[in-house]
Amino acid sequence: MGEWIRFGFAAFLILCGLLAAGIAAFGLFKFRFALNRMHAAAMCDTLAILLVLSGLIVLSGFNFDSLKLFLIILLLWCASPVASHLLANLEVTVSPKLKDNCEILTDDGKEEEKV
Amino acid sequence: MSKIRKNYDTSFRTRFRRYILGETELPEVDYMPMYKKQIAEEKAEDERATEHYLMPPEVDPMEDAKRYAELSGMRWFRRLYGVMALLLCVAISGLLIYNVAFMPEFGSADTAMTNEVTERYIEKGQEETGVVNTVTGVILQYRGFDTFGETHVLFLATIAVMILLKRRKDEEPVRMDGENPGGDRILRTMAHFMVPLIFLFGLYILVNGHLSPGGGFSGGAVLGAGLILYSASFGFTATARFFNERIYDIVKVGSLMLYSLLIIYYLFTGANGIDSIVPLGKAGAIISSGLILPINILVGFEVACTMYAFFALFRKGGL
Repeated sequence: MGEWIRFGFAAFLILCGLLAAGIAAFGLFKFRFALNRMHAAAMCDTLAILLVLSGLIVLSGFNFDSLKLFLIILLLWCASPVASHLLANLEVTVSPKLKDNCEILTDDGKEEEKV
Repeated sequence: MSKIRKNYDTSFRTRFRRYILGETELPEVDYMPMYKKQIAEEKAEDERATEHYLMPPEVDPMEDAKRYAELSGMRWFRRLYGVMALLLCVAISGLLIYNVAFMPEFGSADTAMTNEVTERYIEKGQEETGVVNTVTGVILQYRGFDTFGETHVLFLATIAVMILLKRRKDEEPVRMDGENPGGDRILRTMAHFMVPLIFLFGLYILVNGHLSPGGGFSGGAVLGAGLILYSASFGFTATARFFNERIYDIVKVGSLMLYSLLIIYYLFTGANGIDSIVPLGKAGAIISSGLILPINILVGFEVACTMYAFFALFRKGGL
């Protein structure tokens, strides 16, 4: 019985992860503006991978393999948001059509006046 | 009538006949009018082109191009292109899938891949080379010559990039933001934690190459990635504190030369049937398997230097 509960929980986590990855892939191709697409891709990088890998950890139990999987989660959660941040920074710096697609706030949180 | 006569006179047949008959002096023909006419035509065309160029465009060039594309059947071409591409894809993938049916079953004994060479590697590999990871034994010892050449290819590639991209010392940097990348606080904070771990992991792969999957090439790639991350987040001045051009030269050339010496020793003993004086040690220990451990480390340094050199040369044109 316990085995079945564990299997069900793991399957639930993995299916959720697959759903998140599917939605992210859909958004990646559906959106037109680079920052929106980047948001979708970053969701896939973090949430979907977290769910799938924790499902695998539950499935594998407490051993050396699950420790390695945990390290993979840690590495990806450290690395991929930073990468997304840098890419978004670049996009904000160089994009000529930025103001058509999003509001730009000043440091106080107020909307910058449109030129 | 005279025109026809003239054409007749200048024709190849007539000239040939006269040559045969001994009339070496060819009839005088005025070739110039033809050229003059051509030159005049060209001149007129040039003038027309210049006029067109000087005139302000009446229509939007993009619109013009679009209309031209419509008129010349661009839409049909696109459609045909799509259909043909689809057909080609289906045909090629069908061919490949059809061929899969003729592949031998995975793991079956009577394939071309399972021959005496593979058996020898698996049965005698650990005994002869002292490695637990047979792949390392194969690439560094049985096929050491091949790996030796690959390492030289890496060296030559770096030299080629250097020839193309290296900046002279008195030249201005090409980029607007100078030589130093980085400066992003989030990246720097994260690199602070990640870089030591990456270096540690790279070294682990290097020195464990004969025991577990990994070895010189993969460990060197990890080390190089760590170096690139460090210099991308903290700048080249910070990197130059422990890895500048002098150290780079020493590490790169030194490791290649040492590797060459070791491989010459291998080849010499192997070709003459002499036993290597380096003990193989106990299989599974870190210090074991003779020269494979130092060779792994040297190859790793070579690969790491190559990766970092590519990054630095493309980023700022120097090391």
